[in-house]
Amino acid sequence: MNLKKKWSPGTIFAFTIVFLGACTMILPFVWMISTSLKEANLVYKIPPEWLPNPVDWKNYIEIWKAADLVTGIFNSCLITAVVLTCSTLTSTMSAFAFSKLRFPGSSVIFLMLMSTMMVPGVVLLVPSFILYSKLGWIDTLLPLIVPVSLCNISNIFFMRQFMTGLPKGYLDAALIDGCSYFKAYWRIFLPMCKPAIVTNGIMLFMGTWNDYMGPMIYTHSPEKRTIQLAIALLSSHYEQQTDIPLVMAASLIALLPVLILFITCQKYFVDSLALTGIKG
Amino acid sequence: MKAEKRPAKRGSLRRREAAAGLLFVTPQIIHFFVFFLFPLCLCVYAAFTNWNILSPKQTFVAFRNFQRMFADPKFWIALKNTFYYLIPIPFYMVLSLAFAHYCHTKKPGERTFRVIYYLPYISSIVALTLIWKWLFNSQYGIVNNFLALFGISGPNWLGDPVWTRRMIVFMIAWKMIGITSIYYIAALKNVPVSYYEAARIDGASSWQQFRQITLPLITPTTFYLLLTCLIGSLQTFLEVQLFTEDGGRNYGVASVIYYVWQKAFQSSQMGYACAAALVFGSFIMIVTIIQFVASRKWVYEGE
Repeated sequence: MNLKKKWSPGTIFAFTIVFLGACTMILPFVWMISTSLKEANLVYKIPPEWLPNPVDWKNYIEIWKAADLVTGIFNSCLITAVVLTCSTLTSTMSAFAFSKLRFPGSSVIFLMLMSTMMVPGVVLLVPSFILYSKLGWIDTLLPLIVPVSLCNISNIFFMRQFMTGLPKGYLDAALIDGCSYFKAYWRIFLPMCKPAIVTNGIMLFMGTWNDYMGPMIYTHSPEKRTIQLAIALLSSHYEQQTDIPLVMAASLIALLPVLILFITCQKYFVDSLALTGIKG
Repeated sequence: MKAEKRPAKRGSLRRREAAAGLLFVTPQIIHFFVFFLFPLCLCVYAAFTNWNILSPKQTFVAFRNFQRMFADPKFWIALKNTFYYLIPIPFYMVLSLAFAHYCHTKKPGERTFRVIYYLPYISSIVALTLIWKWLFNSQYGIVNNFLALFGISGPNWLGDPVWTRRMIVFMIAWKMIGITSIYYIAALKNVPVSYYEAARIDGASSWQQFRQITLPLITPTTFYLLLTCLIGSLQTFLEVQLFTEDGGRNYGVASVIYYVWQKAFQSSQMGYACAAALVFGSFIMIVTIIQFVASRKWVYEGE
């Protein structure tokens, strides 16, 4: 395509609009990084400076003392690791059963699970808390781990779609060779689902790492804080009293794992965003 | 003898398959009963009691929770605010369709732009609100400084509930454009090229092509987005919780979910909160059903 055609007046106009939009998308992040590298007293300078002068890295050292980020990161890593492993296993196992095995009530059970999506989350918010408090799970990490690990319906739905596309002949062949159903799942179908697992895993990672509502409702004590909770607590509601560069440094730390994953696995990310539902 | 054995063996094989199948879906069945059905029933039951997490005693109060709720001005304010948070939906849907069209036609820089547009959606809401609080700081925030360049004295975004609401609306749109455009890009890809070629031969302008071919053919995606965005936005909560304390001045920023959350976890009126959640949850379900019924009128169903 020649240059003239590529840059027609209409295209230039559209490009300008989209470019301005992109600026509003990225500038808050740039401003965050810039502020996090400033000395505390330079933050209130008017007009604002985009390039910190002098560049001050000490916020990134001090933040570890100001907030208990180590506990937060440890808890978040723990939750994310357990949820990713367990949820992937249970989702793929049930997807395997729904798509490849014949068992009584399979379609009824599947419909039952799908129907749970019709009930808005707000209805279950309070009774779930009551349930967890009766189980003695309040102020533990269990409410953040167990339910998601047992069942993740959108994940199952997607995995089932994927596995339906795999030939059933593999299962028959494995059974003739004396494999058990579990072995057929573990050795043959699970490895074949790798692309679907990666796609879902990214979404699950993002959701679990970024989760703030769950930890806020179910945990109280400082030892049980997740990273999002630790960072939310840093900012008091009275802006003037907060050390802004420190808060910006903290928010960058909270963003970093997902950002790195996003930039390194961009292609997978776009696929997974397109597959899973939207949350407002 | 062999003929007799075979069906028996097949039967046992089938039984083994059934057992394996049921075993593989056991976690989901447990989840359904323990973490879905039981809490759901509990919510309905608790709505008719004065359940309080602090005292073990619960008494049946019939419809008093519902009466109290409908008489509470705070509930109505929260409901009004919740509807306010639906305002950005049509705007960001149009914008994301425009952006999707830009990407679909392979205009310059679309790959880079896409990555940038997805950034807000993947970022944690906690970090985002911290950044926004700083951006919209009334004295030192960059937004008000920018407005000052044009001689506009910026409002007190975080102190004045009217402006906090506007800021949240803007933030929702900002966050959602990227993710909704993904769906539109996929939808645009599925429109057969031959339709456009036929239209071009008939002399249709590009606006006519868009109006008569593209828009009707992507209605399933528009419907899906409208549905999920509406359900999501009706349950706006975190923005309110993170930006304000006690729902802002005069409760001017609070949403219904925030109201439920406050009743349950700040004044521990579990029964009352369940009643409010039940009413609002039913409302969301009714809205969803109406949308499904109405969709028959305007959503393209294929040939």
